[in-house]
Amino acid sequence: MEPALDVEGLEKTYGAVRAVRGLSFQVAPGEVLGLVGPNGAGKTSTLRCLAGILPPSAGRVRVAGFDVAQAPVEAKRELAFLPDEPRFFEYLTVWEHLNFTARLYGVEDWEARGRALLEEMELTGREKSLPGELSRGMKQKLSIACGFLHQPRLILLDEPLTGLDPLGIRRMKASLRRRAEEGTALVLSSHLLPLVEELCHRLLVIAGGRAVALGSLPEIREQMAGGAGDGASLEELFVRITSAASEEARARGHEPA
Amino acid sequence: MSFPSAVVFLWVRTWRNRVVRQVQRLKRPRYLLGALVGLAYLYSLVGRSVFVQGTGRAVSPNARLFAELSLEVSVLGTLVTAWVLGADRPALTFTQTEVQTFFAAPVTRKALLHYKLLRGLLSAVLAALAATLFVGRFTSPRPVLFFLGAALAMGTLYLHGTAASFVRAWLVSQGRWGSAVRWAVVAGVLVAGMGTLLSTLRDYPLPENLSRPFAVREWLRDVLDAPGLRAVLWPGRALVAPAMARSWEGFLRFLPASLALLVAHYAWVLAVEVPFEDSAVAGAEARTRRREQRAARSGSIRVGRVPFVLQARGRPEVALLWKNLIARRRMGSGLVMLLSFGVLGAVFALVMGDTRLFSNSREFLGPMALMVALAMAVIGPSAFRTDLRMDLPKLELLRALPLTGRQVVGAELAASALTLGVAQWVMLLLALVLGVGADDVTLAPWSTPVVLGLLPVLPALGLAGLFVQNAAVVLLPAWIPADSERARGVEALGQRLLTLVGTLVVTFLGLLPAAVVALLVGYPLFTVMGRWAVPLAGLAAAGALCAEVALGVAVLGRAFERLDVSEEQSNEA
Repeated sequence: MEPALDVEGLEKTYGAVRAVRGLSFQVAPGEVLGLVGPNGAGKTSTLRCLAGILPPSAGRVRVAGFDVAQAPVEAKRELAFLPDEPRFFEYLTVWEHLNFTARLYGVEDWEARGRALLEEMELTGREKSLPGELSRGMKQKLSIACGFLHQPRLILLDEPLTGLDPLGIRRMKASLRRRAEEGTALVLSSHLLPLVEELCHRLLVIAGGRAVALGSLPEIREQMAGGAGDGASLEELFVRITSAASEEARARGHEPA
Repeated sequence: MSFPSAVVFLWVRTWRNRVVRQVQRLKRPRYLLGALVGLAYLYSLVGRSVFVQGTGRAVSPNARLFAELSLEVSVLGTLVTAWVLGADRPALTFTQTEVQTFFAAPVTRKALLHYKLLRGLLSAVLAALAATLFVGRFTSPRPVLFFLGAALAMGTLYLHGTAASFVRAWLVSQGRWGSAVRWAVVAGVLVAGMGTLLSTLRDYPLPENLSRPFAVREWLRDVLDAPGLRAVLWPGRALVAPAMARSWEGFLRFLPASLALLVAHYAWVLAVEVPFEDSAVAGAEARTRRREQRAARSGSIRVGRVPFVLQARGRPEVALLWKNLIARRRMGSGLVMLLSFGVLGAVFALVMGDTRLFSNSREFLGPMALMVALAMAVIGPSAFRTDLRMDLPKLELLRALPLTGRQVVGAELAASALTLGVAQWVMLLLALVLGVGADDVTLAPWSTPVVLGLLPVLPALGLAGLFVQNAAVVLLPAWIPADSERARGVEALGQRLLTLVGTLVVTFLGLLPAAVVALLVGYPLFTVMGRWAVPLAGLAAAGALCAEVALGVAVLGRAFERLDVSEEQSNEA
């Protein structure tokens, strides 16, 4: 089966700073990949490169078979990027944002889908509100509703639960799980390790822009030398892996970006 | 570390970091070039003459009288404002950061008050510097004295406003009698002032023959020197006198009184100090809320009808045009601004005595409509900004859309071009119907052909201007101020000047091919059709301009696709 996301040797540099260094991984349809790493590890840069917002400095990204550099429009039609700080057009209402998104992605039955999504996101009754009138959590939900409208094959989420209340978090987790079951691939970047542990099939741990571990939680435990990972929680594994990466970087004479 | 040394550390580091950041930016050639141009401009504007040599210019008596009167009236206005207008609470404003950092710190109220007073006095010094640069050098032969005097006056006024707010807050806390005392005193002072003014005007009536040279000036000087008004204006005069001194001797003569006023006000503030924490916290929160509302523009947008129903099927870039037309309708100020210019122009013409608007509306309105249409082609591209300039802060969002760069650039341009074009057409059709130069035998036959020729040319010219402005956004994003924020510093000033010059040069270069095409088409036709060749030449010129813009959009679209959002954001960070 063709992977929903195929990344080969992805690099991103800002001047002298190498934010992402040679990342390679694949995400299959229906799979949820957790992207974790300490602050400044290169997670957001990676997601932005995958979404076609930033041009990679090297490497190749394919979304549903479309090369993001060669066929950006086709690739972007197959994905949705949900940033941690969603930005909206402040003069368009909630419903007009859905209308706008529908035209961009050619979603003909957008009204029925839009109503269902607003219901799911508990935004019913807010159709005529402007973004400036929404709380942070509601904005997050609107961003998700717009992202889900065209039923993308790949969803990139950067801290998707920011600003949501406990009920919203619960609904959001169920919603993401359901979409994965329907065949959508998800890449989820978050510092909330319990969420990652609960939702993700596999994890990609990055530090200093490099992949330091990739696999399911049991596989990563296995990878830890000498069985040091036996029975360890994701939090413990995270601390060990990223600490080891920092030590290694210092030994090489430079700090992780 | 004590609070004073912590504050000194904060201020010194803040300034140092700001300077270091600006110097670091100069490593990039475009910022260095901008800084050089900005410095050259400032030098040409201010020069060494202001502070080093003095202007050496004789100050006109009219300018001096005007400056004195304005300053005295503004001092009185500030005093009245301090006691009559605004809320009855301490006027000390703290930022949210200051509230969170200092109010929770082991710092006494007195120390916080001194911190705020010092900040206020420093702001007064900066305001005095600005006043000297823009006003003082025209009204005083010795700008240094103007600066020192203005700094003293503004500092004293700041202390007065603070003390007055403390007194008002205290009076309000005393209940009804406190408010009654305040308003009784304020009313008494105002009535006494008005009474004095009326009695002076009775003694010095307005001269009957105002056409006599300097009649108004002499009358005004007599009125201001009358004993009653001298007493009313004394506070203002005492404050303004050092700034208006013509020599060091004069300045030193007024200095003791000014310094005594400053010290007295400082003592007054300390004597009447009231608790200000509640109002400071509420004020900081309110300001933050207002700033957020301004940024989100939620308070000023009224949701209404959309320009057309956006179907889900069709060219996706139409969605961008649709949303920009909505933005124009809900937030647009360009059209209002242009119409305001038109109305103001008409009012000005009337005030200047041109009554043709009433006596012969048609003769007046036709040329005026044509002039407005022409003016729109020049200033319209700067006034109508519902395009990439508006969306620059959302560049990341635009880049994530499933559209090519050409589609994004073209669609972003379209809304502004459409709005501007329609506005120009309305004005041109008005000029066509009313006629231009109908009373002139030579001009009248050319009126219709020329206006018909302008119908395609002016919107195309506006489109070309919009394209240049949007090209600058894509090619030099760090040089163009985003919609709601402005880059600061001398290099930003230089960059704006360079961008302006560049825009003019590119626009005129773009006009050359269109002019050549118009000549090639128009000249042969003129020999056959006479003046009716003008509309066809206009059509050809507009076609050439549109072709240039289409080519430019294709090139710019490629540049938009290559634009590295992160690089530009990191430069600005």
